[in-house]
Amino acid sequence: MPESVSNITAQMPRAKLAGLLLFFLGPAVAIYTLFSIYPLVATMALSTYTSDPSGARYFVGLANFETLLGDALWSKPFWNAFGNNLIFFAVHMCVQNPIGIALAGLLSLPGLRLKGFYRTVMFLPTMLSVVIVGFSWNLILSPLWGVASGALKAVGLGSLFAPWLGLESSALVTLSLISVWQFVGIPMMLIYAALLNIPEELIDAARVDGLGHFRIFFHIKLPLVLPTISLVSVLTFVANFNAFDLIYSVKGALAGPNFATDILGTFFYRTFFGNQLQLGNPTMGSAVATVMFFIILLGLCLYLFLVQRRVRRYAF
Amino acid sequence: MTAEQRAKSLSVHLVLIAYSVLAVGPILLVVMNSFKVRSAIFGSPLALPDATTFSLVGYEKVFRSSHILTYYSNSLIVTLVSMALVLLFGAMAAWALTEYRFRGSTALALFLSIGIMVPIRLGSVAILNMMRSAGLNDTLTALVLVYVAQGLPMSIFILSEFIQQIPKDLRDAARCDGVPETRIFFEVVAPLLRPAIATVAVFTIVPIWNDLWFPLILTSSDSTHTVTLGVQQFLGQYITDWNSVLAALSMAILPVVLIYVILSRQLIAGLTSGAVK
Amino acid sequence: MANLRIEHLNKRYGATTVLNDVNLDIEDGEFVVLVGPSGCGKSTLLRMIAGLDGASGGDIQIAGKLVNTLAPAERGIAMVFQSYALYPHMNVRKNMTFGLKFTGVPPAERDRRVAEAARMLRLDELLERYPRDLSGGQRQRVAIGRAIVREPAVFLFDEPLSNLDAALRVSTRVEIANLHRMLKSTIVYVTHDQVEAMTLADRIVVMNKGCIEQVGRPLDLYYAPANLFVAGFIGSPAMNFFEAKVGSVEGGCARISGPGFRSFDLPATSLKVGDSLTVGVRPEHLGRGEDGPFAVEGVVELVERLGEASFAYVRRADDRLFVAEVRGRQTPTPGERATLIAAARDVHVFDAAGLRVTTQNDA
Repeated sequence: MPESVSNITAQMPRAKLAGLLLFFLGPAVAIYTLFSIYPLVATMALSTYTSDPSGARYFVGLANFETLLGDALWSKPFWNAFGNNLIFFAVHMCVQNPIGIALAGLLSLPGLRLKGFYRTVMFLPTMLSVVIVGFSWNLILSPLWGVASGALKAVGLGSLFAPWLGLESSALVTLSLISVWQFVGIPMMLIYAALLNIPEELIDAARVDGLGHFRIFFHIKLPLVLPTISLVSVLTFVANFNAFDLIYSVKGALAGPNFATDILGTFFYRTFFGNQLQLGNPTMGSAVATVMFFIILLGLCLYLFLVQRRVRRYAF
Repeated sequence: MTAEQRAKSLSVHLVLIAYSVLAVGPILLVVMNSFKVRSAIFGSPLALPDATTFSLVGYEKVFRSSHILTYYSNSLIVTLVSMALVLLFGAMAAWALTEYRFRGSTALALFLSIGIMVPIRLGSVAILNMMRSAGLNDTLTALVLVYVAQGLPMSIFILSEFIQQIPKDLRDAARCDGVPETRIFFEVVAPLLRPAIATVAVFTIVPIWNDLWFPLILTSSDSTHTVTLGVQQFLGQYITDWNSVLAALSMAILPVVLIYVILSRQLIAGLTSGAVK
Repeated sequence: MANLRIEHLNKRYGATTVLNDVNLDIEDGEFVVLVGPSGCGKSTLLRMIAGLDGASGGDIQIAGKLVNTLAPAERGIAMVFQSYALYPHMNVRKNMTFGLKFTGVPPAERDRRVAEAARMLRLDELLERYPRDLSGGQRQRVAIGRAIVREPAVFLFDEPLSNLDAALRVSTRVEIANLHRMLKSTIVYVTHDQVEAMTLADRIVVMNKGCIEQVGRPLDLYYAPANLFVAGFIGSPAMNFFEAKVGSVEGGCARISGPGFRSFDLPATSLKVGDSLTVGVRPEHLGRGEDGPFAVEGVVELVERLGEASFAYVRRADDRLFVAEVRGRQTPTPGERATLIAAARDVHVFDAAGLRVTTQNDA
């Protein structure tokens, strides 16, 4: 019976096996534990302390969390950031994933020419730094330059133009769409790869059964790549609730106008490092990070226990 | 091809071309205008630079008033060193986890996979404290250590999938041949992992090059800034000098685009290889 | 060169038993083929001899030395894998010498061994090539060459021909047989193909569900299968089986009767009245005739023509099918009534436990 794990360890002297494991796993586990897991745990521990102006720290239990969620001075910006983050995520789910799926579906059409060219071009923005992308769009959408308004005028929609990034009502959605523009390549590629994995014979069989491309896509391909779509969604969730670079580079730490684009990442940064309006507060910063950790954890659990269990994986 | 089929295929291409323009248009626009004089940037933003409008004034400014070359070399050092360590340690750990059966291997794999989903960024407060007390703050070493820790879980996951695809017989043959275990990894398995590098690169190396957060909190002097942070700070400082801003953006964009275009075939093959499902 | 002794070998994965008390003695220079249906444990047994899988109990001795706890490389074995397992990033020469580097063979000696193996296997021209540039047959020879240069006490082959096409399989089979004649080495060879087993083996080990069913020379297995499993496994198409009972016993002769065939007398002393039996006759031993020591009749339902012979599927009175191999140009036609007979020595009888009933016909 072929097994994925070798049985070679069964005959190995224990000391030899221990030596091998130490050699192979030691460096990775050490670096990972020291610089990834330990800081996470230490940050959570720090969130239960507070410090006085002299720098001394006192254990305060869950008081920081009470402040964060109960004191209006803290809870208002927190819930504002959380709400904005939800909108940020919702825009990604409703725009990025459908576009990604549609592009992947088009790219996987049999006999499509220039496939490689399209893939390369469409994935390009994903490779760039968020900072650069944010700033470039900032310029393009700026009324000063007039590229966007000019483009709209050219198609007769000039009256629709507004300084979207500057308006409280539209800044957040505009930033979300810039992020979507940049990262649409990831769902596109992952779903494209999943579509390629569907055996061609299955598609041929459906064509023999008289289904057209549209029906094949909706009734055969889409259900088969559902696990990938749900994986993409959870990746998007984690990335969105951890986002920072885009807002920070376009709008600065204050996430203006009037905190309209503030999300948890920028809120965390401000709390931790401080800004023009307040001093940095590492312990409250830790509390914010801990809350973000639990939000992400909650999302992951929902995915693992509700979504992933229901989504059936098919073996080909 | 019938007329109907042709019309269908044409419409598919139209959609794809439209999206392609949307995807590269903004990048082209920025790069194109960075080579123009200020009046042309505003006068005819959509035109290519020509003899009368061509200018490198923005680039001169960037070179004069920022340490862009230092930023490049910092980014290069941090990314390459992190990549080498992520690949080496990641492959070694992936090999041990897939090949050796030992008590606690499942628990260890689970422990390592926490980092795939939970962003290391959330530990920033403690990371900064640690680096400070170790005297590593404002050093490239600090960045490398954090990036290796950040990249390892995903690379272990990807490399495990690749190692499982290497025929088991190959390792057994090497064992029958009397090849020691460490040599089996370095001389038989590791050379066969070359195709995995592209996949690991997309998922762990590109984010390192592009990261803003850790340079922002861990480095404070010009001599340790990376391109992303350096350009970001430059942009903030010279926000009204459009020539410089566009030039700085282009200088951050062009090397990445160049490398991407050269390696795009491998990168995309790595992405679609089925190793990540 | 060495003998191989396996005693009370067991292998369990959790609750499932893969090998159950396997005992086997293989002599120096013997070519032994392990054969059986997939999942019978033959490959596991081979991998345990190689040291790639550990045993749950029992001993393995190679050349009189207990090797249970030795690593594969220390056991004096070399293995040829089904997938050849050539290192894809090394050329043929490097593939063959790679292992020798680690077992302390000096460079000059390595070159000598490679040259000799290359000559023997006609690989001289290929030494600098990479596996991807080789045909399936050439890869197979490199895999064998890599085993030869180790000069092992025992060669282990794991289904080495199953990735080759039919024509190549026959020629490589002949080459392996020649190689064994030249090297005179001990070989343990796993296959699921009974033709390979019959043609190559000095002795065949038939395995089923983790147990050894029978060990013997190829023709012994064919003419005197020890039990129902071996009788059904060796031979193609498979042996026909008929349910039967002992009607009466008189003077060392038992009268055997059952549905579908004419009753006959069997010179066997061990039978009692009322015993349940299974009578087996190979298709190739059934011929057309009127009456014989064993005779069965029915209506021909289907005829498969192979050229040198035809297989006739015949429906008996009790509605069961059996197969007869009919030689000659006169093939039966569907719908025809036929009587088929067999010689007494070609009739195999098995008791209720499935074990062979020895008769005076066996002598």
